[in-house]
Amino acid sequence: MKVAVCVKQIPDPALPGELDPTDNTLKRDGKLILDESDSYGVELALQLVEAAGGGSVTLVSMAPNNEVSGLRTALAMGADDAVLISDDALSGTDALGTAKVLAAAIGRVEPDLVLAGVESSDGYTGTVPEQIAAVMGLPSVGFAKKIEIGDDGLHIERQTELGYDDVVCPMPAVVSVTAGVVEPRYPSFKGIMAAKKKPVDQVTIADLGISADQVGWAGARQEIVSVTEAEAREAGEVIEDDGEGYQRIVAFLEELKVI
Amino acid sequence: MYEWAEEHEMLRKAMKDFIEAEIVPIRDDLEHGDLPPYDVLRKMFRTFGMDEMARDSFARRIAHEEAVAAGEVDPDEKPPGRPGGDPAFTLIPTIELCRHCPGMVTAMGVSMGLTASAISSKGTIAQKKRWVPELLTMEKIGAWAITEPNSGSDAFGSMLATARRDGDEYILNGSKTFITNGPYADTIVFICKLNEGNDPADRKVLSFVLDRGMPGLEQSPPLRKMGMHSSPTGELFLDDVRVGRDRLIGETEDVPAGGRSGAKATFQQERAGVAAMALGIIEQCLEQSVQYARDRRQFGQRIGDFQLIQQKLAFMEVARMNVQNLVFRTIEMSKAGRTMTFAEASAMKLYSARMATEVALEAVQLHGGNGYMAEFHVEQLARDAKVLQIYAGTDEIQTVAIARDLLGKPEE
Repeated sequence: MKVAVCVKQIPDPALPGELDPTDNTLKRDGKLILDESDSYGVELALQLVEAAGGGSVTLVSMAPNNEVSGLRTALAMGADDAVLISDDALSGTDALGTAKVLAAAIGRVEPDLVLAGVESSDGYTGTVPEQIAAVMGLPSVGFAKKIEIGDDGLHIERQTELGYDDVVCPMPAVVSVTAGVVEPRYPSFKGIMAAKKKPVDQVTIADLGISADQVGWAGARQEIVSVTEAEAREAGEVIEDDGEGYQRIVAFLEELKVI
Repeated sequence: MYEWAEEHEMLRKAMKDFIEAEIVPIRDDLEHGDLPPYDVLRKMFRTFGMDEMARDSFARRIAHEEAVAAGEVDPDEKPPGRPGGDPAFTLIPTIELCRHCPGMVTAMGVSMGLTASAISSKGTIAQKKRWVPELLTMEKIGAWAITEPNSGSDAFGSMLATARRDGDEYILNGSKTFITNGPYADTIVFICKLNEGNDPADRKVLSFVLDRGMPGLEQSPPLRKMGMHSSPTGELFLDDVRVGRDRLIGETEDVPAGGRSGAKATFQQERAGVAAMALGIIEQCLEQSVQYARDRRQFGQRIGDFQLIQQKLAFMEVARMNVQNLVFRTIEMSKAGRTMTFAEASAMKLYSARMATEVALEAVQLHGGNGYMAEFHVEQLARDAKVLQIYAGTDEIQTVAIARDLLGKPEE
């Protein structure tokens, strides 16, 4: 069982983010960390491989400046190796360009299953997993909250607004997983020490047979025209409790139609 | 070493996440409700594979010792190093735990550090196999009993606890106090003097291993104390506790330096750990103080704009840098296979402990009335920090050790 997991390395959300005023994109030149929403995919991949009785988990990531800090965290959790695509020409790449690059890298791994988070915690486009599937010509299932491997393929519980759908899907496939799918493990001491020595295959777009005009600003079909600060949230209504305050709460909840 | 390496940062992050998820929610129970810290410590050990590593490392060491004993290996050959024997992997959990519950480190350090080391360093192979593995994994809790009501800094001079020979066995008597983990310990190293009817000053110091529940051994409930509430401290009372030679550490009365050297080596190890504890307390107090100085507004401006507040922050930062450098030095020396001199370990302990207390008290002051309230947590750290100047050798004892070394006098 060979699983490829797409992981994004993002600026630490605990630190104040900064936009590049020249192109309105998030500055990503500092130290990057593993996007928490991808840690679920890593954990699930590890569990599926364990359940299958063996195999490997390969991470696939695209990041500037050959950044590996986030990858090391996922390797410390137990992933076996990683492919990192880093290339100056990738600056400004949109979601579809990203999917093309990741798909090319995943193709080299030849996995039985590709996992990804539903969306990243910095870009939030939420389209890359489905685009990877389309580029690779693989079936795609989004919002998986449970995955099991059956004789007839993947058995997936697909989260919906009202509950979940049972989906059976042939392999290989691309599946995006929700945050509730599993509880990501902490990296063990041994894992942290071993992560340093695990192989990270660093490739450029040329290695993947992709030309510079397909990616980056040159290949992007989108442009960030302007960025506006979100409006500050308005202060809530303050009600002095005269002993009947609960009635105001009940009325408010009824107005929202939640009770 | 001037900063944490990438793998250290990863460990720090993982530890912080674990502590936020597992320890911070029960901190009030640990600090104000007598909840013993052992179950959550065991969970930490399991989560990070610290138990498995400790078992593997112990198995390798014992296999080496057995090979040496069987004459299969040259005694001078070093035992196989454990993979990743980076001391930072011990110190980082210490630092991170001390940001919230320094008492937990005391409980952990005394059990898997002091108690296990006392048996590991002087015990026979059979004794090590019998008691050490479960102490290293925290499955069993250890206590190291030296202090008595009338013997603190003068540990050996005033010691009244005794062992008396009785045929092939010994009869142990005495009272111990301020014993970390005393109320809950499963395995106790009891230090006493062999009473052969001779002058107490000339008596040999022997260490015995006791198990919880042995006839004549009483473990008191936790004592009330100023801080370190997440570390249960108690008294031990021994009334004619009968033990075989198999419980005498080393199974021999012929101990070098009358048994006093073993305890001294333990003191040294303890002192190095205090710097890491101090760093955790200082880092937390500084971070909270910086945040408070930014958030708190008085006289129409944030208090961080007042120079008297800035002075406190700068003082804390200097202390943080110095203590962190001492911790880095400990790591570097250990990696290089060097051991600090007794005086150097004392100097490090003296400085770090003082700084932890001073920084924590300044943090309380900076927080004003809020600092005095339990909710803001710095009051707990200030109470906790104070003991760093008292246990593992008081400030005064450390000062004497440094001065004696400087003046070239032989140590006691």
